[in-house]
Amino acid sequence: MKRKLSIIALLLAFAVLFTACGQKQPAQSAGESNGPAKEQILQYATDGEPAGLDPHKVPAAASIRIYGKIYNSLVDMDENGEFQPELSESWKQPDDVTYIFKLKQGVKFHNGREMTADDVKYSFERILNPDTAAVGRSYFSKVQSVEAVDKYTVKFSLSDPYAPFMAYMTSVYASIVPKEVVEEKGNLMQTACGTGPFMLKEWIPDNHVTLVKNPSYFMDGQPKLDGIVFHIMPDESSRLAALRTGKVHITKLSPQSIPLVKDNKDINIISYQSNEYSYLGFNMTIEPFNNKKVRQAISLAVNRPEIAQTIYGGNAVVSGPVPPSLKKWSIDAESTEMYQYNIEKAKQLLAEAGYPNGFETVITAGLYDDIRDTAQLLQKQLEAIGIKATIQNLESGQYVDAWKNKNHQMMAGRNGSGSDPDRALGFFFSTKGSANVWGYSNPEFDALTEEAKITVDETKRLELYKKAQEILIDDSPNLFIISPMDYYFTRTELKGFNPDTFNTEDFENVVIALLSK
Amino acid sequence: MLIPVLIGITLCIFLIMHMLPGDAISSMLGIEETPEARQRLEEQFGLDLPWYKQYWNWISRVLQGDFGNSLRTDKPILPEMLSRFKLTFELTLLAAAISWIIAIPLGIISALKRNTWVDGVVRVMSLIGVSVPNFALATLLILVLSLGFSYYPPVGYESFIENPAVNLQIMILPAFVLGAIMSGSVMRMTRSSILEVLRQDFIKAVRAKGASEKIVIFVHALKNGMIPIITLIGMQIGSLLGGTVVTEQIFSLPGLGQMVLTAINQRDYPVVQACIMFIAFIYVIVNLIVDILYTYIDPRISYK
Repeated sequence: MKRKLSIIALLLAFAVLFTACGQKQPAQSAGESNGPAKEQILQYATDGEPAGLDPHKVPAAASIRIYGKIYNSLVDMDENGEFQPELSESWKQPDDVTYIFKLKQGVKFHNGREMTADDVKYSFERILNPDTAAVGRSYFSKVQSVEAVDKYTVKFSLSDPYAPFMAYMTSVYASIVPKEVVEEKGNLMQTACGTGPFMLKEWIPDNHVTLVKNPSYFMDGQPKLDGIVFHIMPDESSRLAALRTGKVHITKLSPQSIPLVKDNKDINIISYQSNEYSYLGFNMTIEPFNNKKVRQAISLAVNRPEIAQTIYGGNAVVSGPVPPSLKKWSIDAESTEMYQYNIEKAKQLLAEAGYPNGFETVITAGLYDDIRDTAQLLQKQLEAIGIKATIQNLESGQYVDAWKNKNHQMMAGRNGSGSDPDRALGFFFSTKGSANVWGYSNPEFDALTEEAKITVDETKRLELYKKAQEILIDDSPNLFIISPMDYYFTRTELKGFNPDTFNTEDFENVVIALLSK
Repeated sequence: MLIPVLIGITLCIFLIMHMLPGDAISSMLGIEETPEARQRLEEQFGLDLPWYKQYWNWISRVLQGDFGNSLRTDKPILPEMLSRFKLTFELTLLAAAISWIIAIPLGIISALKRNTWVDGVVRVMSLIGVSVPNFALATLLILVLSLGFSYYPPVGYESFIENPAVNLQIMILPAFVLGAIMSGSVMRMTRSSILEVLRQDFIKAVRAKGASEKIVIFVHALKNGMIPIITLIGMQIGSLLGGTVVTEQIFSLPGLGQMVLTAINQRDYPVVQACIMFIAFIYVIVNLIVDILYTYIDPRISYK
């Protein structure tokens, strides 16, 4: 009997321990904010470990999230897609192949040295050097020379006119880095020294990365935070629990989490239109997808609004080849003929193509949950015209292999369109485009995108890309489906955070407000 | 025996990693990959060599104590691996302690009260322990604590030496999850092992000489019933030390399991190989310790 009691006592002790833990740190109560909190350290729950911090070499989102706050480029892009000065003060273009940038004076690297035209020259030479294997090298392949005219003036000479040049200058891959740090450390994977609002303090792998305020940041009064701690928390439910209990201020979660926090007064959901779109791509080198009528039939049989509604809960818009977030560059795809959901016409096209009873095929999907769900809905929608698709879900390595080896039949995925339409169109669909894995080749489309690339006059360029998009929708090498919203989940005490498509994480004006008890 | 086992394991892992679809460079560059950038990186990392040369280069460096640097982060692997192991080691010890505290007393009670309601309750508990996957228990625990008690452990890991109070707060939940799951099978093993010992003649002899029930159970029955329990616990500890991947992931702990998982996803070959070799090494060592413990518990066992 005694022993039985002692066991019960032990179990009770455990229960008490947990309850005690629970009471030790009660969540902060919601309330009106009254002034800034004493400690301005933003606690950010991020989903992945950064794979190195070199802005020229690492394209991983988990890395950009961090080094994007440490480095600057010469030019920035605002929410309307217009260029704004960043490290440069102004720029001019004396002719089609020359760009001259005047730099801001007194901008300092985190090691205290002033940034000058030599650093810009060095950074671009590093990007263009094949040994660096820089991500942005192809962006600047037309750059013939970079010249430091004087301490604050840099001249870029291009071999040919190249319209996307300015858009690529805004990329994080075009960040300005200090020569002496690169030379001392060999690379910038583990160390970071930029001109940005935050400086790297420490990086404990799979645990956290700490950034502190750059006291001599060139924008007066910014940043308002004293620092940011990125906690690496791969599990979504853990991130959500940490946000609910006030342990972190901000995190990214999937739209599936929206209903879970909708009624929580302590949590804001901040959304913006992403520059990504989901697609169903065809392998045009094999039957039946080499037949335009088949592709068009599938386009007519896909109910895009239903996908936006069912998979994304309505938090997505129907997208063309250039997603709506690229504003002026995007055309109204929804009104085109191929976007008009019409099963009868689809069946008729399929019959004309020689497949009156449809056919069997495979949809390759992977990487993202929403894409796996989209593939299932597509499978169901295509049944209506007799196409029996099986779904093949691939792990990321397999997916990348399928992408590269072009051994898919239909492939569902999500692509980012960058900040210039050349990326959304030329990169993915021109005959020589390095991401054209569809086997798509249309001389008329090629000519349009090629001309647009060298057309510096914007009105003319808009016209060319409009035509190119119309051809693409008609040829349907890909079905462009929807462009989803992206979400941040933040505590209500976080103020001044307004993400947009091109500046998703500017924390310069963010403050943490004090909560009233 | 240790050396051939380790070499065999590294060779297997090496081949499996190279047969996997995707490689370090694809995962690094994604769709930005160009043939030119690929070639540069392959040359830099020595990935352009045939696989047996790559393996030879790697193993000959390892034999000199150089585990090399990560392809992804360019950091030396060995110090990183050891610091991760400290966390996993602490987690394993805590989990094992929790599992013993729950399982051994309950297992004994259940054996003594065989076929009563107490036994029934304990057996149902152990069945739950054996069948509930740890990720389900972990997620449930997080959900209940955050919604019901507004509690979430401190974010970010701190070691026991730096800050014992915070460290224990961080570690107790994952240790409880692992311990609770472990305790299921330990409970069953304790019960059946004690039952078997109690049936033996020497127990009758001990009782006949008038020893108290306490002495019978704790001195004679438990000690003799310990061998299968120790074997089971040894195996469990061995596999926990090898990385408690899912639990570490859910509780965001920078342990060895997390390191292996990240490395596999990024196809970071040297890191995966070093870690797997290290895990195999630990497993062999734990088994060795268990074997030595046998002779301690049962003097009849000898390895001479």
